Amino acid sequence: MQIIFFLEKDLPEEQRDSIENRLEESSLVNNVRYISTEQALERFQQNFPDLQGIIENIEINPFPASFETNLAEENLSPETILRFIQAMREIDGIEDVQFNRDWVERMQSLSRLAKAIGFFLGGILTLASFFIISNVIRLNVFARKEEIEILRMVGATNLFIRVPFLLEGIILGAMGALVSLALLFLLVKFFPLYLGASLGALEEIINFRYLSLTQISMLIAGGVIIGFLGSLSCLARFLKV
Amino acid sequence: MIELYHLWKQYQPPRWALSDITLHVKKGDFTFITGPSGSGKTTLLKLIFREILPTQGQIVIDNRNILRIPDHKIYRIRRSMGIVFQDFRLLFQKKVFENIAVVLQVLGIPRKEIRRRAFNALRLVNLHHKMWEYPSQLSYGEQQRVAIARAVVNNPKILLADEPTGNLDPELATEIMTVFKEINRQGATVIICSHDRELIRHFGEKILFLYKGKLIRKEKL
Repeated sequence: MQIIFFLEKDLPEEQRDSIENRLEESSLVNNVRYISTEQALERFQQNFPDLQGIIENIEINPFPASFETNLAEENLSPETILRFIQAMREIDGIEDVQFNRDWVERMQSLSRLAKAIGFFLGGILTLASFFIISNVIRLNVFARKEEIEILRMVGATNLFIRVPFLLEGIILGAMGALVSLALLFLLVKFFPLYLGASLGALEEIINFRYLSLTQISMLIAGGVIIGFLGSLSCLARFLKV
Repeated sequence: MIELYHLWKQYQPPRWALSDITLHVKKGDFTFITGPSGSGKTTLLKLIFREILPTQGQIVIDNRNILRIPDHKIYRIRRSMGIVFQDFRLLFQKKVFENIAVVLQVLGIPRKEIRRRAFNALRLVNLHHKMWEYPSQLSYGEQQRVAIARAVVNNPKILLADEPTGNLDPELATEIMTVFKEINRQGATVIICSHDRELIRHFGEKILFLYKGKLIRKEKL
């Protein structure tokens, strides 16, 4: 996406340089190009030869100088972009900022919707896995009832009896996380290929990328915790002393 | 060592499985409990290792009232007991060795030591050559001997046995009894439920007669 920063008229050179520096230092944009008033006029004449006359009638050059930039990354959150633009606008010397506000706002609400759906589904699936693991452990407890009985008779502590079941829950949770990571990897890799050309303009907007390392470890940790809690809740109900 | 005070146990009213049993078993005793089927022998044993709770009365073992011990600490009492169940209660999906080893694993004994002690216990009942077989591959009598090995592997202070020779031929029964005697000689208190009169006459020191849940006679030979 392109963002254009229009400069005030007759801006001193130092001020212009400082704005340019500021833009170049920013990690959000790259390709900072200065378009002088003359270049802007020239471009206008090239793009709209029919309107030549209008320009000739005005004696001064009406086009302001500007910096044209591109977003460094397409998948920046709309909030980040808006915050950046707002900050730039407050700098002395910048008259106005032009960008596709509509697009940013639509993305903003789209991403909010996606997040809400994600949280909703995530919550349901978390609960589901909790109960599934809890039930798997319960079946195992019943299947090994005799063994547990014997362990009790020979003086096993509660911990000794429970640890294998807790480990099983943890392993189930971690395995679930790993399988879902693998599936997600396949999806990210092959879904864009499958959509191919029909993705069209959307390709610019939807960025298919894999999870970050932090997100991966959080997912696995989440699986482990759910497995542990699922197992624990089952044991609390079905493995009383 | 084991003191029972006015024990009453009822599974289903109105019949009392045990009524008003009071008895004392001293440390190092070798005691038989006998009586016809359904007289309450097994119930009495189950009460002693607290598999079940009495309807009324108190049970004191080693000067501790075991009915006052919270559930999560009862394992301490059980670790000092070896139990031979009437139905053996072996793990059929585990090998003979593992069936014995579980008692020691629970105590956190190192693996090498477990192997040594499990082997010795099996040798005591003459089954060491079947250490790596599954209980289902063994005869009934052999399974019973595995159960006995499991009960003694931990050198228990108290050994409880419910019809431990019920399925053994007389020779083997005598051999098993000799094992129990040996454990008794090493200081364990032994209580055996049996209605094998021959055996009782031969080995019995103290005999308790149960009839319909009542202790009707005590004998000392």
